This record gives sequence, structure tokens and C-alpha cells, in this order.
Amino acid sequence: MQRHWRIFREFFRTCLVEELEYRSEFIGNLLSSVFGIGIAILTIQIFFYQTDQLGGWVYEDVIILLGIFNFLQGLIDFALRPNMSRLLQHIRRGTLDYVLTKPVDSMFYVSFRHLVFWRLIDVVLGGGLIVYGLMQKQYIPSLSDFLMFVVSMFSSIVLIYALWMLLMTTAFWVIRMDDLSFVFNSFFETTRFPITMYQGWLRIVLTYVLPAAFITSTPAAALLGQWNGVTTLVSLVVAGVFLWLSRRFWRFALRSYTSASS
Amino acid sequence: MSIQVNHLNKHFQVHVRQAGWADAVRSLFKREYKVVEAVKDVSFSIQPGEIVGFLGPNGAGKTTTMKMLAGLLHPTSGEIKVGGYVPFEQKADFKKMMSLVMGQKSQLIWDIPPMETFLVNKAIYEIDDSVFRHTLDELTELLELEPLLTRPTRNLSLGQRMKCELAAALLHRPKVLFLDEPTIGLDVHTQEKVRQFIAKYNREHKTTILLTSHYMGDVAALCDRVIIINHGKLLYDGGLQVLAEKLTPYKLLEVRIPTVPQMSWDEYGEVVEIDEGKIILRVQRDRIPEVSAKFLQNFEVHDLNIQDPPMEEVITLAFQEESHVS
Repeated sequence: MQRHWRIFREFFRTCLVEELEYRSEFIGNLLSSVFGIGIAILTIQIFFYQTDQLGGWVYEDVIILLGIFNFLQGLIDFALRPNMSRLLQHIRRGTLDYVLTKPVDSMFYVSFRHLVFWRLIDVVLGGGLIVYGLMQKQYIPSLSDFLMFVVSMFSSIVLIYALWMLLMTTAFWVIRMDDLSFVFNSFFETTRFPITMYQGWLRIVLTYVLPAAFITSTPAAALLGQWNGVTTLVSLVVAGVFLWLSRRFWRFALRSYTSASS
Repeated sequence: MSIQVNHLNKHFQVHVRQAGWADAVRSLFKREYKVVEAVKDVSFSIQPGEIVGFLGPNGAGKTTTMKMLAGLLHPTSGEIKVGGYVPFEQKADFKKMMSLVMGQKSQLIWDIPPMETFLVNKAIYEIDDSVFRHTLDELTELLELEPLLTRPTRNLSLGQRMKCELAAALLHRPKVLFLDEPTIGLDVHTQEKVRQFIAKYNREHKTTILLTSHYMGDVAALCDRVIIINHGKLLYDGGLQVLAEKLTPYKLLEVRIPTVPQMSWDEYGEVVEIDEGKIILRVQRDRIPEVSAKFLQNFEVHDLNIQDPPMEEVITLAFQEESHVS
């Protein structure tokens, strides 16, 4: 663990150096992040002109949920998304061989080797939006609310990572990366709104099959004091199961890679 | 580290499809597979510190074998031991002892200086600061990397990049090194530099090196021993010199005389080239002393030169005359 943390820091450092080669991107990224979050808030306001709640959540609650969404999206764009295209390149050009000869866990390496740290702006803005939502609602979370929030955020991050890896691993067979990103985005966008907003089979799928509910709704509810211990525990278990699945799938993919490529 | 390979086999399942619509559609539902035997019953062993050339035409099975040795491919059957490890188990200890350099594939980070890649490797291989500095100093000196370390990789020439690739692969001081076409695409001068480096590194560190190359120059300069495979089968394993004698039982005799007379040279040897004041003949190895003496006796010889046939020729013959070699 400690060793992986050291390697991760080294990845971070080199990526920082890499990104500083293109400094002008900072401004562009900042503008697009601010613009993106502005549009998202506006969309929610438009909804609330028509109604005073979305699936039982009031305006301030949805703002907090949006903050969490933005926070997580920032993390995805920071650590996961940049690696998707690299993995495809590795597979196509055969440089995955270099990864596999290194004494480091290959799944760890391919998922965190490339970091686009400008995207952390979204994480910060998301955090800001959460605080803003709380202030608007004039709600101060208790210590246990906060602890539950931290635990469910943790499961949510693990879950996103596992789902992302499951998808990314299909890169061994699928050659177009745009399609893969699109599939993930379509799914992830559903977490922009409270899970209770969805009806019928869609809600069932998003709760039990692809557990979108645990990604933003559970942490937001926890922060607002509406947590329940069982749900939090379930979110941890679900995240663990998906992580285990993604690992199995990665191993399986590697086995077929190493027995077929030349 | 020593390398042991016993009765190694590797089969691939390849999807076969004819061109055309009908077949494209058919292959959606039912795929036909063909088994390709890339490596067939190959055995050899390499002693620690040895440097061995691995030769064969394209598609002979060189890279496949090398990938199995590096633990990247699972052998269909047979046994491989590299320094006591079974490569495909991919143990971290094994990975720390070996390194792979592929001339056509780069591990350097494109947009930033090579030094950054070195630092990433330092973290991954858990190299101590002092050891790292010492190794880097040594490699910098041997490969003349000093001016390259701080320039973005994308601004380096192919040759400069290759030197940095070698350095990146050697930072953790591997005991065994797999070099797949390390001089491909390099100019003659840089090829020579890379060769010298490999030879020197092998001498000083006793690293076991297995080298594949298309350039005979690499192999002739670096390896006393060669392993030749073709169509997945081992054709020859032994000294390069011995191979030359076996396959080309003649030498080239180049003689400089003031005027080359118009005459039959049959009793001397087979004419390769006649030029003004120069004649090159192909002469049986055991007849060399006799033919040389004859020249000295009958002509006013200015210079007489005995050469082995070029290595390219030897190897081309080896690929053709499979049965004659082994």
C-alpha cells in the first residue's frame, strides 16, 4: 500500500511536469469547468421554476447532490479518463508489454499512470457547491452525518473505479475508445439527479444492477442527516463486490492477451 | 542468470477469413480457426554473462520466444527457467532481475525529458537514491546522455531515444537483458555506438544478453554464439565462426596485380569480380595456401587478401539449407 502510494506520487509528479509543458491549458480548463457548473446550476433552477421538488429533494438538496456529482466527475477526469486512451494505445502498439514486465500491479499502473491534474478544478468547485448548498439550506451536518458521508463517498469512489475498470478492460476486444467513454458517460450522467426521480424499471436497474444510487444519492443523503447505517453498509459491500469483479475481469483479459498476442 | 529452455512449444489460434462479403457475414456467426505453430520444440541453454544472437527471418518465432522468456506469453508446452524463475509466473522478484528493450516500441514518456521516465522507473523498481545516482552516472557516461536528459523526448532523434531506452531499461541493474532489434532504423554510426555500449556493459556487469537483430553487423560484432530459428524450429546453435566454415567452405581471395590477363582462372578458383588491377576469387578453404602460393609464383603480386565471406551470405545460406546446418 505504502509502496503504491509512493509510485502514485511519482506518477503525479511526472504528470505535473508533463502538463506544465502546456500551461495555457490551465485557463481553458478553468473556464470550461466554471461554465460547465454554471450551466448545471441553471438547468436545476429551470426545473425548480416548474416544481418545488425533484423526486422528494428540494432545491438545496439537489445543489448538494450536484456538488457531489461534480466532485466525482472531477476525480474521474483527473485519474481515470486520461488512462483509457493510453490503455488502448498500449494494446494496439504493443507497449503494454513494458507495463507487464514492470514489478508493479498492472491494473494499478494502467489506471493511474496518467493524471490530468487541471481537472482537480472540478473537484474543488464541486466541494464549493456542496458547502454552498449546505449554507443555502442553513444545515450544519453533525459529526456522525459527516462520518457517514465520508464512508459513503469512499464506497462511491471505489464503485466508480470498479465500474470504470470493467468498462476499460473491454478495450482488449473493443477498439474504439469514443464508444467506451460514451457508455460510461451515459450511465454516469444519471447520477446527476436524485435516484428517487427515476421511475419503474429504470430505477430498479439503477439501484440493483448498475448501482448508480450509491454514487451520489447516498452520500448526499448522509450529509443531510438522512443516512441509515444499513444502506451505508450495503454501499460498502456493493463497492467491494464490484471491485473484486473488475479485478477478476482484468486478470481474465490479461490471460487472453498474453496467450494470443505476438 | 542462466536461461534454460526445454522442448518449448507455442501454438496460436488464428482466426481465418477469406476476403469478400459472404465470408465476412459468415464469420460473424461461425469462425474458423487455424492453429499456427509459432515455436516448435525449441531447446537451448544460456550461461550467466553470455551474449547470444538470436537469428531468423521475419516470422520465424524469435519475438515469440523472447516474449515467453520475458514472461509475457504463456508457453503451450515445454519448460523455461530464467535464473531459476518460471517467467510466466511473473513474480516481482523475477521482473526486477530482467529487462526488455524493443527497438520498435518505446517506454519513454513522449512530452517530457527522459529523466522523468527514469524517475518513474526508480519508484517502480524501488531503487535507492544512492544506487540510482551511481547507476545513472555510469549510464550517462557510457551512453553520452548528458545533453539529452533534460530535453523533451519528442525532440530527440531516433538514435538518442534508443540510448535513453537502454538507460531506462538498465537502471535497476537487470541480470538478464532481452534486446529485440535494438538498432533498428539507426544510422551506421549510432548502430556502432549502441553495439559498443552493449559489449562494454556485458563485459563489465556480466549481464546475460539475448539479442535479436536483422543487422548481421550487430550479431557479428557482439555474439560469439548464435541461435538460428526458422519456421519455429531450431536450426543451429553454436559458434558463429563454426557456422561460417560449415556453410561456406570457401574464402574470398583478393589479389592485386598490375594487369589482369584474359585467361581461364578455373585452376585457381571461381571468379567473383575482375577489375582493373584486381581480381577476387572464391577458393575452397583447404586450397587457400596452394592458390596463394601459385599467385605469388606466377604474378607480380602487390597485395593479397584472404577474407571470410560476408556474414549476410552465411546466414542467408543457413536459412535456405535447413538440412545442411544441423
